[in-house]
Amino acid sequence: MTPSPPPELGDGDRPGRRTLTSALLQPGAGWRLEKRLNVRPWHELIALLAALGAAVLIIAVLVAAIGKNPWESFAALYNGAFGGRISALETLVQATPLIFTGLSAAIAFRAGIWNIGAEGQFFAGTIGTWWAYDLWGGLPAPLSFIIMFAAAALAGAAWSSIAGGLLVRYGTNEILTTVMLNFVILYVLSYLLAGPWQSPGTFYYQTERMDEASFLPRFFSDSRLHWGFALALLTAAAVYFLIRNTTLGYEIRGVGINATASRYKGVRVGMVGLAVMAISGGIAGLAGAGEILGVYHRLQTDFALGVGFTGIIIALVARLHPLWTVAVAIAFGALVNGSTAMQYETGIPSALVQVIEGVALALVLAAAVASRYRIRRTARDG
Amino acid sequence: MDDFFTVAVLTGILLATLRIATPLLLAALGELVSESSGILNLSVEGMMTLGAFAGFFAANQTGSLWAGLAGAALGGGLLSLVMAVMTVTVKVNQVVAGLALNILGSGLAFFWYRSVYEGGGGSIDIPTVQTLNLPWLTYMAFLAAPVIWVFLYRTKYGLELRSIGHNPEACDMRGVGIASRQYAAVVFGGMMAGLAGSYLSLGSTGLFFPGIAAGRGWIALAIVIFGNWRTSWIVVGSLLFSFLEATQLSLQTSDVELPYQLLLALPFVLTIVALVFNRSRSRVPLSLTIPYHRGQR
Repeated sequence: MTPSPPPELGDGDRPGRRTLTSALLQPGAGWRLEKRLNVRPWHELIALLAALGAAVLIIAVLVAAIGKNPWESFAALYNGAFGGRISALETLVQATPLIFTGLSAAIAFRAGIWNIGAEGQFFAGTIGTWWAYDLWGGLPAPLSFIIMFAAAALAGAAWSSIAGGLLVRYGTNEILTTVMLNFVILYVLSYLLAGPWQSPGTFYYQTERMDEASFLPRFFSDSRLHWGFALALLTAAAVYFLIRNTTLGYEIRGVGINATASRYKGVRVGMVGLAVMAISGGIAGLAGAGEILGVYHRLQTDFALGVGFTGIIIALVARLHPLWTVAVAIAFGALVNGSTAMQYETGIPSALVQVIEGVALALVLAAAVASRYRIRRTARDG
Repeated sequence: MDDFFTVAVLTGILLATLRIATPLLLAALGELVSESSGILNLSVEGMMTLGAFAGFFAANQTGSLWAGLAGAALGGGLLSLVMAVMTVTVKVNQVVAGLALNILGSGLAFFWYRSVYEGGGGSIDIPTVQTLNLPWLTYMAFLAAPVIWVFLYRTKYGLELRSIGHNPEACDMRGVGIASRQYAAVVFGGMMAGLAGSYLSLGSTGLFFPGIAAGRGWIALAIVIFGNWRTSWIVVGSLLFSFLEATQLSLQTSDVELPYQLLLALPFVLTIVALVFNRSRSRVPLSLTIPYHRGQR
C-alpha cells in the first residue's frame, strides 16, 4: 500500500484552476481565488464560525422540512444539555468517553497515522477492564482502580499495536487494518459474552453486575458524573504536554509533517509510529474502563456505539489540538445528552444528532480549506 | 454433527450464500470503480443505509418496486455526490470525508425514517423471481461483475479511469479530464451502494429499520481489499465471505460446537492477511487517497 498522506485536512486548490468553487466565485472575469500566503488565526476563526452557521442553517431546514419548529427544537436541545445543574453534569458524563477517543485520534493524526480503530480499541479496553476486575477486583480501592485502568490501557494499546506493527513491519495501510480490527474485537466480545463471561441464568449478552466496591466513585450523589471525567481531563493535559514539551512529541509532530525529512534527520520513524499507535490505542482503552467502572458497571455489547468514530470527528473539528478536543467533546456530549430531551419534548428523532455531527464535520473540513484562500478583485482575464 | 451435512442444510447454506452475497457484491463493485479512480470512499455503510431507506420510502409511497430501486440509487448517488464535491473539488482528506458522510448517511436515514413512520412502518410486498427463490437483483449483481470488468479493462474510458487512479498527473498532461471522471466514478459507486441497500430493505425483508446495513458496507470495503482490486477476486471474496456468514447462521441453529463468532470475524481477519500477503503484488491504485493538485508533486 502507499503510505498515507500527512494529516492535512485538505489542501484546497491552486489558484487559477477551474473547479466548482472557483467557478462559483468567479462570476465574471473580475474575481479570482487566491491561496493565502499566511493563514492567520482569525481567518480560520471566521471560516469556522461561517461553517457552524451554515450547519445550523442546514439543520434548521431539515427540521422545518419534517414540520417541526427548528428554534423550539434547538431550545429543547440546549435545555436538555445545559438546562440545569443535573443535565449539565450529565452532559459531562456523555462527554467523558468522547474526550478519551478524541485525544486518541488527535495524537495519532498528529503523527500522520490514520488510526480509525478507536472504536475497537474502546471495546478492547472494556474487555481488559473486566478481565482485571475478574482477577483483582477485590483489592483495596485505589489499587484496584489503577490496575483496572492500566489493564484497559494495555488492552487498547495491544489491539492498536496489531495495526501499528503491521504498518511498521510491512507497510500495511493502517486505515484498512484498524477498520477491520474494529469488527474482529466486536466478535471477540460477543463470544466472551455469549460464552465464558455470560451472566449465569440470563439470555442477555452481558456479564453480571460488578461489586459496588468496584464502582468508580462519583462526584455528587445526584449525578452519574464519575472520576473518569477527571481522568479524561488529566489525560488531555498529559497529551498536550507530551506533544508540546517532550522529545517524542517533537518527533510525532515532525513525522506527521514530513516523515521522510524526519528519517533523514535520524528520527526512528518506525519506533515513533509504534509508540504513537500504542499510546493512541491505550487512550481509547481508558475510555472503555471509564464507561464500565463509572457508568455501566457490567460488560455488555450495546454501549453507546460510535464513541470511537465520534472521537475522530471531535479531534478533527478541534484541529487535532488536545485542549480544544476537550471543549469540542463536551459540545458533542451536549448534543448526545440534549437530543434525548429534544426527542421527548418535541418528537424530533434523536438521530438528528448524527446528522448534526456529519454536517458539522463536513462543513468544518471545507472551512479549513477555505480559510487558506481569499477572493480578490483583479483585472479582466485575471 | 452428522445431521449438519445433509443435502437440505447444504442447499440452504448455498442459497443463503447467494442472498447474502448480493448486496456485498453490488456495493463492492461500485467501490471498486470509485477506488479505481483514486477516491477511497469509506462511506459505503452510510450510502447503503440511506439507499435502503430511500428505496423503502419510494416503494412505500408509490407502490412500485422500480421507483424503489430508482430511489435507492438516487439516495446513494446523492450522498456520494457530496463525497465527490468534498474530495475532488474541495480536496478534503478522503478518509475524513468518508467517515463524516458515513455518519451523515446513517443519521439522515434514521432521522427521516423516524419522522415519516413515527412508531413503526409498513412492510411492502416485493415480487421475487420464483426459480431458485432469489430476487432478480442477485442476477443483476453477478451480471454486473463481468460488465464492470469489460468496462475497466477493455474500454478506453476504463483505461482512463484506472490511469487516473494510478497517475493523475500523466492523465492531466494527456488532456484526460480528471475531475469529471472521478465524479462519475464516485457517484456510480454511490448508486451501486444505494442499490445494495435497497436489496436489504426491498429484496429480503421488505422492511427498513435502523442499523439495517449491519456492517455490510464495511465488509464490502474489505472485499475490495481482499480481492486485491480485481473484479474476479471480488466475486470470489463476496461468495466466500457470504458462505462463512451463511454457515454460521446454520451453525447457530444446529448443535455443532463451534463459536459462530469465529466465522463472522474470519472475513476481517482474512482481509488483513490478504493485505499483508499481497503487498508485493498489490494492485491498489497508486494515487488512492491522494488528492490531485495540478502542478504540484
